[in-house]
Amino acid sequence: MIELENVSRDYGDGKVVHALNNVSLRVARGERLAVMGPSGSGKSTLLNLICGLDEPTAGVIKIDGVNIALLDDDTRTRLRREKIGMVFQTFNLLPTLTTVENVSLPLRLQGISRKESEIRANAMLEKVGLEGRATHRPDQLSGGERQRTAIARALIFVPPVLLADEPTGNLDSATGEDILILLDDLHFEFDTTILLVTHNVEAARHCDRILRFRDGMVVQEERLNLAQVMG
Amino acid sequence: MRTLFPILAHITWLQWRLHKLRTALTLLGIALGVAVFFAVRTANLTLLSSLTMTVEKLAGKATLQVIGGEGGLPEAVWETLKDTPGVKVAQPIIEVIANTAFEDEGNLMIVGVDMLGDRELREYQFDEGDSEVADPLVSLAQPDSILISRTFADKHNLKDGDKLPLFTSQGKKEFIVRGIFKTTGIGEVFGGQIAVMDVFNAQFIFNRGRNIDRIDLMNEPEVAVEDLKRRLHERLLSGIEVERPAARGKGIENAISAMRIGMTLASFIALLVGVFIIFNTFSISVNQRWKEIGILRALGVERSSVERMFLGEAVVMGVIGSAAGIGLGFFLAAGAERMMSDVAAKVFGYMTTQRQPIFRWDYAVASFTIGVFASLLGALMPSRAASRLNPILALHNIETRQRENVLGRTRMVSGFAMVVAGMALIRFAPLKVGLYFQFSYSLLVLLGLILLLPKLSEWTARLLRPLMDRAFGSEGVIAVDTMIQAPRRTSATVGALMIGLMFVFSTGAYVSSYQRAVSRWMDRKINPDLFIATSDMARSRTYHFSEELSRKISALPGVKRIENVRFIFLPYEGDSVALVTIEMDGWFARVSDVIEGADEAEAREKMIRGEGVLIARNFANRYTLGVGDRLRLQTPTEAFDRPIVGVIEDYTSEKGAVFLDRELYKKYWNDAAVDMIEVNLNHGADVITVKNEIQRIMKGEHRAFIYTNAEYKKWVMNLIDGFFVLNYMQVAVAIVIAALGIVNTLLISVSERKRELGVLRAIGGLRSQIRKMILLEAAAIAIVGVLIGMLAGMLNTYFMVRTAAAMIGGFTIPYRFPFWLIGIVLPMTMLIALAAAWLPARRAVNLQVVEAIGYE
Repeated sequence: MIELENVSRDYGDGKVVHALNNVSLRVARGERLAVMGPSGSGKSTLLNLICGLDEPTAGVIKIDGVNIALLDDDTRTRLRREKIGMVFQTFNLLPTLTTVENVSLPLRLQGISRKESEIRANAMLEKVGLEGRATHRPDQLSGGERQRTAIARALIFVPPVLLADEPTGNLDSATGEDILILLDDLHFEFDTTILLVTHNVEAARHCDRILRFRDGMVVQEERLNLAQVMG
Repeated sequence: MRTLFPILAHITWLQWRLHKLRTALTLLGIALGVAVFFAVRTANLTLLSSLTMTVEKLAGKATLQVIGGEGGLPEAVWETLKDTPGVKVAQPIIEVIANTAFEDEGNLMIVGVDMLGDRELREYQFDEGDSEVADPLVSLAQPDSILISRTFADKHNLKDGDKLPLFTSQGKKEFIVRGIFKTTGIGEVFGGQIAVMDVFNAQFIFNRGRNIDRIDLMNEPEVAVEDLKRRLHERLLSGIEVERPAARGKGIENAISAMRIGMTLASFIALLVGVFIIFNTFSISVNQRWKEIGILRALGVERSSVERMFLGEAVVMGVIGSAAGIGLGFFLAAGAERMMSDVAAKVFGYMTTQRQPIFRWDYAVASFTIGVFASLLGALMPSRAASRLNPILALHNIETRQRENVLGRTRMVSGFAMVVAGMALIRFAPLKVGLYFQFSYSLLVLLGLILLLPKLSEWTARLLRPLMDRAFGSEGVIAVDTMIQAPRRTSATVGALMIGLMFVFSTGAYVSSYQRAVSRWMDRKINPDLFIATSDMARSRTYHFSEELSRKISALPGVKRIENVRFIFLPYEGDSVALVTIEMDGWFARVSDVIEGADEAEAREKMIRGEGVLIARNFANRYTLGVGDRLRLQTPTEAFDRPIVGVIEDYTSEKGAVFLDRELYKKYWNDAAVDMIEVNLNHGADVITVKNEIQRIMKGEHRAFIYTNAEYKKWVMNLIDGFFVLNYMQVAVAIVIAALGIVNTLLISVSERKRELGVLRAIGGLRSQIRKMILLEAAAIAIVGVLIGMLAGMLNTYFMVRTAAAMIGGFTIPYRFPFWLIGIVLPMTMLIALAAAWLPARRAVNLQVVEAIGYE
């Protein structure tokens, strides 16, 4: 599903910072991968490269066999829209839009009518347990509800890949756990491949595999068995 | 505070460096506002100075001038003056703007002087090299002699002995150049387009009868000018004025006051729009520096220091912007003066001498001070908001900030109350308090609208939301939501647009209402088949037709009857009013139901018998006169005193007009000149055939402008448009300034919404969709601005047709709002807005998504 071959990402002109250094990895369809590591280890860079928001300095990134580095910006954007859902630590909802409008936004950007978009968004909101909050604006929602909205938005296209960057980082532990369970449920329902960037070991235990990063390189890989995953 | 000042100044400097474009746009906004303000004042001054200079240069060494209004003075007055003790020199003058019969038909100012005595008053320096005549001035004794300026001679390649063909009231005549005077003194007047001939010859060929236009006087050295003036007043009839030449400039200033008031009021618009730009910039700056202010406050910087930091920034911006504005304004003044001169000539008949703009330090200091004050005014509220910021709230992440609450109930109620109170004052308050006081009512309405602006913007944007959704999908919705979300950011720009567009709409509506009223009036009262005019301007003050020409025209086949119209301005109660004279029996034969407040038949009888006068409705309003009152007018012969027998609707002059029978006029004013010949045709006569026939007999003999009824009407409408062209131009500058506000707002919008735009890109928004969103935001601002501007324009039009028209012209104009104007204004504003959005959209499209998502 996701393949990285010798991917490097350098920043700066003078003193070069190697954010990712010759990383290779494969993520199978339906797999849940946790990426852990200290700040500046290259976790977020990895997500940005996979979703095509950033371009590698060297190496190949393939999504479903397509090398995204060879695509132009619009094609990459469309691929992201349809195949990759993104969830952020800070939710990144549009404050002026209601919950249902936020969730239906990717569909509207695709040119799907408001009516159909909202039907699909309401169905997704029901799946994330926000059926009563469709007309609320982000500032009227709790942190957990905002993240659920962000997840619903990320999954509105039922993308095969979900990239989650510290999705529980801004939430209390109970709410964070609810969100992780929700991700588990959605994973089982849609067979979504999940890449979860986290500092939280408990969160990582919801995944099948853990990659530990340091200084832009994979330093440890740990495969969790079902018992570990289920706690 | 003293220790803090360098740190706060440094922080401000860093902000300027960080937001170079925003700073530059703001400075440009102030500069343009001040520039228009300064340019109009400088152009006003230059125009007046130019008009006065023309009078003074022509006056030479004359210490007093005796004038009898535009109708002229009887020659007998000259005799009286010559015999008056204390008068050293008294010289009769005729002054005419005539046309040469050269191909370009250029204007030529002809001054008729008495060859024997004029040298004592005016210095003539002749180019001796060219002259074959010992004393060119003496050569004027020959009736075909003319002296011309070097400028004119060079332009037409003329030398002594050459022929100069001129259109005169007696037809085309050829003169012989018998002297060329240098381009100094009198040679400078009217851009050097000047010629001198014998006064009595000029009197004859320009149909002055036994009248002269003016007498220039010089007092004996032992008699004080003021004493002589008093002595002359005692000896002359009240209709004859004695003035110092410089004081005559004042009279001209008065005559063109309507144009000057209009220009001055319009010049405030650009400045007011500039205030909004400052307000916008500082509101945005406070918003952007929310966190910085929080940190400063948390570190112990007092509220007052925060406020002073922003106000100090405003002062510095005001100083730089105003200084640049004065430079720019001086440059613009030359163009403004040319346009004002054009209006002064076309509408008021005053010819000017072109000159460079005059730089006045007091104007520059005043404009500079107003510019700095406007900057401070614009920054006042945002600075206070910055100082009152809660440091805890300010230190929160920008995303957690609540939606701006900019319109409390108190502000809304106050705004609404101000609008209602202003409108009630316009409607019910008496007009006697003066125009500038009345203007404050309109200002009250405007202030009320400014208070209501955020709410009006929000409501309009909410109305727009479903339409934008339907038309443009999510991009449209987000564009409108951005406006709703940040009323503080958008309102100032909408406000700037509102003010500019308010004047576009209200000027357009006023012109339209006025034109409609004039058109109806012309249909009913100015309805001959053909008009023959002496000038293609509103009128010629100096060049007239003779009655002999009228007789020739009346004898043409197809012509039923002609009326001779004479139109002059004469002094009345410290102002000058129009006097229109016509053969009343002829006029009454083609109009009906024209007289108000009296029995029509009886009034007509009295008018034809010369037993009364008619007055225009605006004259009646201005001087509170009505039917039955007596009207006393000053004439150059004897006191004129007649009862007012009727009031008529009339738009001849904003100063008011008096109508009387031509025979009565000729008797009292001793003047048989004709300004316009109105031709009525026999039933079935073809208008074009008669027009061609008139053209044929006049061709090569008289310079005349012949219009059919429809052509004349169109010409009058164009003249009205021409009068307002300068106002339109000033409003255009105001809209350009408002467009700078749009650029500013959108740049800030892109910068503030970096994360939002990044998210949109991250969840699949294409670059083209982001561009569309920013362009739609600009379009939404334009639409909201146009709609609110239209509302403001509708209210201001009420002020203009009701109060301004009554105060300036005494007119009552029926309210008419031209909704078709939206069809022009909306697309144009949208185009300007979209152009203004180009740069912000580019920035938004080139946003680094990864950086934007991580942006705080």
